Amino acid sequence: MMQRSHGFWVEAWRRYRRRPLAMAALAFVALLILVATFAPAIAGTKPVLCRYKGQLYAPCLGYFDRRFEPAIFTKDKFRGTYPRNLAEKDPGSWAIWPLFFQDPYRSVRANEWPGRPENPAMDQGRPSWTNPFGTDQAGVDVLAKMVHGTTVALLVGFVSMGIAGTIGIIVGAIGGYFGGWVDMLTSRLTEIVMCVPTLVLILAILAIIEKPTIWHTMAIIGMTGWTGIARLTRGEFLRLKGSEYVMAARAVGAGPARIMLRHILPNALAPILVPITFGIASAILTESGLSFLGFGPPPPSASWGSILNGARSNLGMWWLVLFPGTAIFLTVLAYNLIGEGLQEATDPRLREARK
Amino acid sequence: MIDAAHAPLVSVTDLATHFPIRRGLLRRQVGAVRAVDGVGFTIPRGRTLGLVGESGCGKTTVGRSILRLVEPTAGSVTVAGRDVRALRGAELRQFRRRMQIVFQDPHGSLNPRMTVRRILEEGLVIHGMGNQADRTNCMSAALDRTGMPTTALDRYPHEFSGGQRQRIAIARALVLEPEFLVLDEPISALDVSIQAQVLNLLVELRVRLGLTYLFISHDLSAVEYVADEVAVMYLGRIVERAPAATLRLAPLHPYTIALFSAVPSVDLRKRRSRIVLPGDVPSPANPPAGCRFHTRCPLAESICRTVDPPQSTVGDHVVHCHVAARELERAGGDAAAAAHRLMQSLATQPAEPID
Repeated sequence: MMQRSHGFWVEAWRRYRRRPLAMAALAFVALLILVATFAPAIAGTKPVLCRYKGQLYAPCLGYFDRRFEPAIFTKDKFRGTYPRNLAEKDPGSWAIWPLFFQDPYRSVRANEWPGRPENPAMDQGRPSWTNPFGTDQAGVDVLAKMVHGTTVALLVGFVSMGIAGTIGIIVGAIGGYFGGWVDMLTSRLTEIVMCVPTLVLILAILAIIEKPTIWHTMAIIGMTGWTGIARLTRGEFLRLKGSEYVMAARAVGAGPARIMLRHILPNALAPILVPITFGIASAILTESGLSFLGFGPPPPSASWGSILNGARSNLGMWWLVLFPGTAIFLTVLAYNLIGEGLQEATDPRLREARK
Repeated sequence: MIDAAHAPLVSVTDLATHFPIRRGLLRRQVGAVRAVDGVGFTIPRGRTLGLVGESGCGKTTVGRSILRLVEPTAGSVTVAGRDVRALRGAELRQFRRRMQIVFQDPHGSLNPRMTVRRILEEGLVIHGMGNQADRTNCMSAALDRTGMPTTALDRYPHEFSGGQRQRIAIARALVLEPEFLVLDEPISALDVSIQAQVLNLLVELRVRLGLTYLFISHDLSAVEYVADEVAVMYLGRIVERAPAATLRLAPLHPYTIALFSAVPSVDLRKRRSRIVLPGDVPSPANPPAGCRFHTRCPLAESICRTVDPPQSTVGDHVVHCHVAARELERAGGDAAAAAHRLMQSLATQPAEPID
């Protein structure tokens, strides 16, 4: 009798855990997050940590932002190549290197790392022991590029769907709860935005903006991708505002804000999360597609789609298609599996059937 | 009946609640469902009015309209000396403390994402009643009154049976210490074995806390058990109203007589003739002219089809029926004699559909 009481999300998590595919997908996304966070420590040519002239530095932070790279190395004319410079300029120095010595933004020269040959350029860079996923036309290592491109893949999904989710839930909630002319207005707004082709809009805006970045792309995907979420939220709010517990809350004296936030939203959230998850997958695809067409983030920021772009001019370089393509495919698949798992774990009808 | 001690706590006059029917692109109003169409009654403080009728007759809407959970179209509602229809915004929300409701379905009326504590506490928080400790005491007391253990506070509604949930729903209404309680079919969704328990609890609470009830039900025997006075509704109108005992002994409206004939009896010796009404309830969107019951009334005459029957009164017994009025007049105001004659003519009348 006196077991602990479990809330809805604890129960949902329990049911979710029983689905091996969904769990594997979640583990994959968790892995991607780890890779994105520790990208400079996984692949790079800048030491994770080094001692130079009696001081400790972490030059690898320069991969997140140029400004984080300690100024002393610029002053001492390292020019981005650390191993030889460190040894020559301070024989007493030591360094902890990334797991994989390859740079995502430039080709590695001969003997930059003791005994390592120069990266092959043009169509010669097929996969080898020094470059497991091969190199692109400029001789930049594909694996290093992919490791650093994970950040973009994740950010695109989370940021754009964060924006889309926020707009969609707010618009849908207001329309569904208040109904009448308010609903008329929000529904028409949703339909208008729905008519705007995302890809064309992004291309147009990227053409207008002087210095387009990945953030512009994410913002546009977010600001056009909320329509489905808004419609679903509206439907859920319409359905739940007539429920007896909402009426009971009104009878107790709760105002509209309280009813929407504390009574309707928690009950509507589960079905809304599902299209958001699918939205993350499609946002990643949109970004990859844009990068493939050459409208991706400008160098030096790397994205999986822009690696694919490199294969457009030379289809013989199959490794430029296979590896980033597989990564995009697996990530999109993982988000879809998570969405599906979420759907089944939170859908009350499926839940009953499974018991 | 109405003396100083029993001044009406609730009085309703000519209450009408119409739901607009909207069609087409511009959502023009093409008609209205007259769910409640001219209902009036008073409930003395500390008394119970039973409201009976078949599903769709508008009895639930009456309860919700009084509490302004749906907006009435016309008429006036006074609770504890306040004109409920004149209350606006915050004023109304504050006043809600004094009138509460218990819904039919305890599965639907408790928010599944909230613990019992949060469900009960909400009203107290909204009305700024007491600090944390006071509120916990208050909630424990309410649970105790309804026969639930205090340990229920930290559990979720789905962990309880239907009867227990209904007790929680009653506790939610009681924590605010209301004077007036609308009981909207509070036992209809419960197992038969639990119904009596909850019914007894409600009667006990009324006596102990001096509550005033509007008890809505389609179950005549339950209404007879708890109510001091009974009002019978048909198609948005009250057709007959009398003290519970009087109504059973001398029902005057043909509809009431038919309802009583449908109540199963355990007394096998009693000769029962069941009156089966022909046809279906007409649509409240297009109610019949004259007496609303004439399409199904075995005693209907030509006047019934054109003239809305006025109110006939014998003591505290009120009926709206042309035939009953004539019988009353013939019996010289002796309701029992008139009722007897009506019952006889109904029993002998071949039930034929009238269109």
